[in-house]
Amino acid sequence: MRFDAMTDAIGDTPLVRIDPAVHGLRHIDLYAKMELLNPFGSLKDRAAWNMLRPLVSPGGTVVELSSGNTAKALAVLAGMHGMRFRSVTNRMKVPEIKDLLLLLGADIEELPGQAECLDPTNTEDPLTRMYQQLGDGGYAHTDQYFNELNVDAHRHGTGPEIVKDLDGQAPDYFIACVGTAGSSTGVARALRQHNPDVRVVGLVAHKSDFIPGIRTIDEAHAVGLFDPESYDTVETITADDAIDGLLTLVRRCGTLAGPTGGGAYQGAVRHLRKIDAGLTERKTAVFIVCDRVESYLSYLRDRRPELFNRPPRAHDVRTVDAAEAKILDVAAAERWVAGRRGIVVDLRSPYAYQALHIDGAINIVDELFAELLHGGLPFSRRQPVLLVCPVGEKSAKYAALLTRMGHPEAHSLDGGVIAWRDAGAELVRD
Amino acid sequence: MTLSLSPRINEFVHSVLGETALLGRLVEALGSPLDIVLPEQAGRNVAAFRAVHAEHRLGGRIYFAHKANRSSALVRELAAGDAGIDVASLGELQHALGAGFTPDRIVATGPKNAAFLWLCARTSVLVHVDSAAEVAELGELVRARGLPPVRILLRLSEFAAPGVRTAARRSRFGVSPDGLESILDLAGKYAGHLEPVGVGFHLDTTALPEKAVALEGCLTALETCRRRGLRPWAIDAGGGFGVSYLADPAEWDDYTSALTEAVLGRRAPLTWNGHGYGLRNEGGTIGGSLGLYPAYRQVTGPAYLDQLLRTRAPGLGRPLGELLLDSMVDLHVEPGRALLDQCGLVLAKVLEVRDDPGGLIVRLDCNAGDVSTENHGVLMDPVAIPQREGPAEGAYLFGNLCLESDLITRRKVFLRGRPRAGDLLAFVNTAGYFMDFGATEALRQPIARKVALFRSDDAWQWCLDDQYWPLHRETA
Repeated sequence: MRFDAMTDAIGDTPLVRIDPAVHGLRHIDLYAKMELLNPFGSLKDRAAWNMLRPLVSPGGTVVELSSGNTAKALAVLAGMHGMRFRSVTNRMKVPEIKDLLLLLGADIEELPGQAECLDPTNTEDPLTRMYQQLGDGGYAHTDQYFNELNVDAHRHGTGPEIVKDLDGQAPDYFIACVGTAGSSTGVARALRQHNPDVRVVGLVAHKSDFIPGIRTIDEAHAVGLFDPESYDTVETITADDAIDGLLTLVRRCGTLAGPTGGGAYQGAVRHLRKIDAGLTERKTAVFIVCDRVESYLSYLRDRRPELFNRPPRAHDVRTVDAAEAKILDVAAAERWVAGRRGIVVDLRSPYAYQALHIDGAINIVDELFAELLHGGLPFSRRQPVLLVCPVGEKSAKYAALLTRMGHPEAHSLDGGVIAWRDAGAELVRD
Repeated sequence: MTLSLSPRINEFVHSVLGETALLGRLVEALGSPLDIVLPEQAGRNVAAFRAVHAEHRLGGRIYFAHKANRSSALVRELAAGDAGIDVASLGELQHALGAGFTPDRIVATGPKNAAFLWLCARTSVLVHVDSAAEVAELGELVRARGLPPVRILLRLSEFAAPGVRTAARRSRFGVSPDGLESILDLAGKYAGHLEPVGVGFHLDTTALPEKAVALEGCLTALETCRRRGLRPWAIDAGGGFGVSYLADPAEWDDYTSALTEAVLGRRAPLTWNGHGYGLRNEGGTIGGSLGLYPAYRQVTGPAYLDQLLRTRAPGLGRPLGELLLDSMVDLHVEPGRALLDQCGLVLAKVLEVRDDPGGLIVRLDCNAGDVSTENHGVLMDPVAIPQREGPAEGAYLFGNLCLESDLITRRKVFLRGRPRAGDLLAFVNTAGYFMDFGATEALRQPIARKVALFRSDDAWQWCLDDQYWPLHRETA
């Protein structure tokens, strides 16, 4: 396989059978179209390249309203062709993708949240204004939600590839998540050309959920390419469904799918299970694995923190009782500091420490201090310390922990630096 | 199919709605529309905000944004507790002082004329200044008249986020952080007359990330102040904590989906003259955007503040609440509608009920200025008193002005059981901004009278709003 450019590696992805032991369907062969194996990591590589190719002009600027895979693909493609890429979005909820886009050199602008004090006469929402700007700005606007080239990429690419890999037959069922509606519409058209009886299931996100890459039914109505007639049925999936499916694919199927692929799998199996029970002959079904899991770790961590459990560590501050700490009140602490009896460790953030602190204090922010203590005492037992935090709660816990770790002279400032300030004791900045 | 938008009603308001005989007599005696305010609930709402501050060990005041309601009863009740008040006009300042707020509990915000600034300075209230011009005007006033020094908060706007740019709405108010040094220079010229005690912002957005950027921007601004030898200890995070108006998220989801379909022509219209609430049909695709307040919200009020404080500062990386505490900064907030959640309702009498080809028409003795939920983009159903039995019918609610646009709702409201002339409709949870904010005497229609309802001796008592003083409860 020798190519002249990475763009030549777009498409021709494998169609892989999912082990029946995993999905449990008795009469249906379920295949996954592995779009995650495209060079920039997703199904959108196809549409992005198909839409951009006629607009390539070195020195120009590509603009798209995208917060995900389309933006990622366009950013890479723009870079390859000497163009700038600008993305405007109100849906960028996945921090890893934001950072990745910045890394790829994209210029990203986010739209503001909804006004708290609403002005209903202001019907010109930011998105509409942005469209108006694009109209006369001399930009190459790929316009993924309305551009038929988005659909064509799948009608002439993804769809026919599926038919070819199924020995010239269209599958009986095709299940796809609805994002821009480009892939579901394009593939459905190609499949129906072969067999008008293909059942097409569109999956949309539950309205109260956020699943990256999948729209809710209301959002789908704002997509020019979305035509409800393209689907025999439109079903709803939740973020929980998507994550369940994702876990099955990554843990049992050797497929490092993101939430969209997980949602497609879960939605497919749920839809097909009802049909499977009544079948006597063999059927085939295909769903799309849109992209890869790595970009969604924070999304998964937010929703399934238990998946990321770490074993308990030694010297954990959460295991001590602050009441075991040795306490100094402000007056005693002032004498302790004036007498240079030991070091003062200020546990607040560097920002706050640099603003004002007790003279002679060193700054180890509590998060870092906790890290250090996991490894043992970061100073000698003969070195007396006075711990300081805002109100004396955290410092008491850490002083108690130091005491438990065998430190004989670890104190906590009672009432913290706020009590110190309120007593009129001296604070300095360097 | 009925599309209800059932309002969220707490037990307290529920028991008020149960007093049908009392409510009927009140409207009979005082006319329709009639505003009911529930001062005790406002006190409970302050306590809920206070609890968030305590949880995060933060100091600072909960300033009630007076502009949300003109009521005296609410302001006097809050004066009896530990809240502060945010006044935005000369009249509001006079009202607050007269209700018992001492100047140390008052902050003045918004556009100010000379008389407003003078009374602020004369009574030594905290002034949230908007611009360099206001700093100069206030400084000159204090110096020329020999008034005591005035504490000021500098209002900032247009904060820049690290990483990705946000195309935030421009604000009428405040100076950008780039202008901070020059405004501090200016304030320095009035040293001894003006004392900068902190900075603040008010962002008109529901988006938490934008507020996190602003709060962190204020911390940076305080550092600029400290570098100049100033010792400011306060950040004012403004308001905008929000209220959730609906009981059931599924109803909100169903309604907005149905509205989208109606705008696309896939189902019968749900609104008067096909009004789309910001949505347009552009050749079978939805254009525009829904110009409605998200009537069901999961995180609002004190919970929203809590979440903001738990959000990591985009630059400094530490949760904002901990950064504030680390820095010994007091956090002031100025909630309006969130402090008036469940604090009042508007009663309106049904004048006429008639059938129309497009649906039922219910004409009320009040207008869109008296119940201004729609003007603020909030959709929720009224509660019928009494509750009639029968199938739900879609009804348009017309107002009492001789004006085509005077509809209380431009959407069909699905009322269970058909109301009759003489019945009442209660528009609940309207104390924050929807009660008297836009009420006018246009056409010489009366402005609603206001009544305070409260529990005393285990029974509901009432008095006219301006007769209410917080004396009915036993002293501790």
